[in-house]
Amino acid sequence: MKQKKTMGHWALNIVSILLAVIFIAPILWALAVSLQHEGKQIKSVVDWFTPPYTLSNYPDIILNSSVPTWLINSLVIAVVVTVLTVVFSSMAAYAIAKLHFKGSSMFFLYFLLGLMVPGEATIVPLFITVNQMNLIDSYAGMILPSIAGSMNLIIMVTFFKGIPNELLEAVEIDGGGAATTFFKIVMPLSKPIIATVSIFSFVGSWNNYLWPLLCAMSSKLFTLPVGIPTFAGTYTVDYVKPLTASMVASLPMIIIYIVFEKQIVAGMMSGAVKG
Amino acid sequence: MSKARKRKKFLVALAFILPFFILYTIFTIWPVLQGFYVSLHKWGLMGKQKFIGFDNYAKFLTDKNFWGALKNTAIFAAITTPMLVVMAMLLAMLANRGTKMKKGLRIIYYLPSVLSVSVASFIAKYTFTPYTGLMNGVLHSLGILPASKELQWLQDPKLVWISISAMTVWWTIGFSMFLYLSALQDISADIYEAAALDGATKRQQFFSIVLPLLKPTTWLITLLQMIACFKVFGQIYMITGGGPASSTRPMIQYIYENAFEKNNMGYAAAMSYVLFGILLILSLGQQILQRRGED
Repeated sequence: MKQKKTMGHWALNIVSILLAVIFIAPILWALAVSLQHEGKQIKSVVDWFTPPYTLSNYPDIILNSSVPTWLINSLVIAVVVTVLTVVFSSMAAYAIAKLHFKGSSMFFLYFLLGLMVPGEATIVPLFITVNQMNLIDSYAGMILPSIAGSMNLIIMVTFFKGIPNELLEAVEIDGGGAATTFFKIVMPLSKPIIATVSIFSFVGSWNNYLWPLLCAMSSKLFTLPVGIPTFAGTYTVDYVKPLTASMVASLPMIIIYIVFEKQIVAGMMSGAVKG
Repeated sequence: MSKARKRKKFLVALAFILPFFILYTIFTIWPVLQGFYVSLHKWGLMGKQKFIGFDNYAKFLTDKNFWGALKNTAIFAAITTPMLVVMAMLLAMLANRGTKMKKGLRIIYYLPSVLSVSVASFIAKYTFTPYTGLMNGVLHSLGILPASKELQWLQDPKLVWISISAMTVWWTIGFSMFLYLSALQDISADIYEAAALDGATKRQQFFSIVLPLLKPTTWLITLLQMIACFKVFGQIYMITGGGPASSTRPMIQYIYENAFEKNNMGYAAAMSYVLFGILLILSLGQQILQRRGED
């Protein structure tokens, strides 16, 4: 059906653009502020956007602040959480879906229970448990609870059940064991679901605030969400440095998102429908 | 199958399950049980102090700060959920139109969701700051707000919910928009054509075709958003700190303050079960809905 270029069409175009401007304005503003000299007199909002610009805030944040350390912590923790989630969840899911052993349905029911446990509501006993294990203020303490949720495992069980048994039996007849089947057949066939689980794990870890806030005590272990407020808190009047720090923290993700938008959205949506 | 082979099969399966099983048991299931034990005690950061039975539960029933936090969380859910559902549907429809800006709109509408919670919160906090912030600045420039007047977005109890809700919708709407987009793309073009042939106007098409077909997605987004609302902590904690005068303090912040600032973990653990119950009901609803969607 061909769309007629009516008044309505143009009105909707204008609404779309107006909303886009509203959505992007705070981000562009933060970017513009980060390019200003500190201490500039601001008489009207326009002054935030006008020259003279400077890039000098960036090397200052990158070289003289903890923001890069926190950025690296956030990235490393997110990557480790993602890899371990994929490995451990898919191994367990494979056993439940394909290694027909006695008790597999009991395990599945036990893991289903986890879907009903909201992490936020068990944060106090979790802290006590991790503290008893002497893992507070350590990378292990920050990472391990993040890979213990069963959501990803359930998604993977559903996916693995769809892999035909004949494929796996062929490998077994050739003398391959469960491990061979898993690495040679199941994992390569599961790329779409691995992508979905990876995106959810990575984003979940990247945005996790409450747990790292409790678990990381020393500044060198902070992640970005925990570090940025402590940094911004030291600047009460001027926004230039805190917003430059915000930009340093966000630009890598913004660029990754814009470049891989299609793949990221596809991965997110298949998980949302399957989940 | 021989007994020995069965045994071997079981051990192999166990080896695959065990790493996840151990982590899951320690960090997901055990805290639920441990939390109950803790809630029956006076319990500080240094550990157990004494057994007090159900006193912690009796205490929050008469704690007006607890009810205040519960009320604040409910207000937050009541404001943001409809706002998010309507806006997400609108954005999805705008970004689904066959125009050249389609891809650009999708990227921009989702862009704030890429920001980490603290970055989004601080950008919002500075945006809503009077005198030098973006919001009042723009309102001044457009002549909507007289130059002599400043709106106290984060201090005025009437405005503060608007500010926090607007920020939350801005920051989190991307995912819901994509859920609607993928639902919209599942509606076949034939249906629209058939409706157009029958003389249905755009408005009639929307209300009698699109809206009913989007119903499962609308339910899903509503529940997901309510769950997210009861889990809210980060952005409110960073933007207002729960203020002015505790008027925006959500449940998790009150639990956090009791456990880690007032050194009363037993009480915090007891209150956590109320949050647990609410989230349990909401997520059961979500599970049922998604199972039904799959069949």
